[in-house]
Amino acid sequence: MASKPLSQEFTKGLWGENPIFRQLLGMCPTLAVTNAVINGIAMSLATSFVLIFSSLVVASIKKLIPSQVRIASYIVVIASFVTMADRFLAAFFPPISKNLGPYIPLIVVNCIILGRQEAFSSKNSVGRSLIDAFGMSLGFTLALLVLSSIREILGTGTWLGHQVLGSWFEPWIIMILPPGAFLTLGILLGIIILIDQKLQRSK
Amino acid sequence: MSLSSRMVIVLTAVGIISGGLLSTVGILTRARIEANRLREIEEAIITVVPGAKTNTKIYEEKDFTVYTTRNDQGQIQGFAIYTAGTGFQDKIVLMFGTDAEINKIFRLTILDQKETPGLGAKITDKEAFLKYWENKDCSHPLMLKKPPVAQEELGASEVNAITGATISSEAVLATVNASLAKLRSLIQAGTIQIEENNGQ
Repeated sequence: MASKPLSQEFTKGLWGENPIFRQLLGMCPTLAVTNAVINGIAMSLATSFVLIFSSLVVASIKKLIPSQVRIASYIVVIASFVTMADRFLAAFFPPISKNLGPYIPLIVVNCIILGRQEAFSSKNSVGRSLIDAFGMSLGFTLALLVLSSIREILGTGTWLGHQVLGSWFEPWIIMILPPGAFLTLGILLGIIILIDQKLQRSK
Repeated sequence: MSLSSRMVIVLTAVGIISGGLLSTVGILTRARIEANRLREIEEAIITVVPGAKTNTKIYEEKDFTVYTTRNDQGQIQGFAIYTAGTGFQDKIVLMFGTDAEINKIFRLTILDQKETPGLGAKITDKEAFLKYWENKDCSHPLMLKKPPVAQEELGASEVNAITGATISSEAVLATVNASLAKLRSLIQAGTIQIEENNGQ
């Protein structure tokens, strides 16, 4: 794995191994908080913060941790950063903290984060792990941004709280309810697989 | 060093470091989080009792807190009641203001709710719901009007339900009526005493 060029460690998180669309990890926050763009952004930022710092710490101390207790150690590291993010939001952005409710503490069990520690940071250098974490974070952010944009525009006619569709538009309330999350994700996954097949064929 | 002692040392070290970091973060943010909570209540009191300048907490129990509010001359203007009731999905936390005789509701505001977006969540909407609660006669229990009618056609103690969200509307109504009854019985029992112009 170490032979991959660094740029590829970064870009794989955006498309080839996008945590949401290709690895299908972290579905719980993805489906639950993408009913408004602002929630999607806040969730992406909090997750990125946790992922990047956890990767940094895990890659730095990987040689010290006996493999039998590695998962327990990773979880403690991740949980520490999640709690920091949670307290920070509650102190400085109380409305966002209220909207996201239990989903910030639930980042602890987000498979993207533990998955990257286990699959990548525990086997690669600090620099490479950071690049991987940044790529995965950006891929996660993009995915949440697309999902929440589609759901907010169709569900309320607004984007980031600004009216984008005229008064003629009757909001599809289902889009901001849980079924809307499944519908949007399913359709997007289908589109991405189609694009990917086209790309494969033309190679 | 044996493997088991290494495991113990590593896990202990990770735990201690993370515990230390978290208590630091906790201390640094606690004051601000508490201030946010108090400010939210402060703002809600001003919303529900127009012209309230100062307020005093006079009674508190789980999900039921009563504040008296005074105007700038120090006269009692009424009560602000912070309460919560079971909604469609989760607790609905709300606050409403009444005059000192508990005959009139000034206003109602919703502080926290997890009702269905687009339906029950309309209880936070001024046009769809909250405006019907302004200046209502509450000497008798309030009643829900459904289907909703024009504001002029509502009785003195009637409020409009939200179409398609009867459960959420009823939850708010039941919470308010229960709180009014509780406040009256607390005053009657002498648990809550209001002393006009005292301590101002």
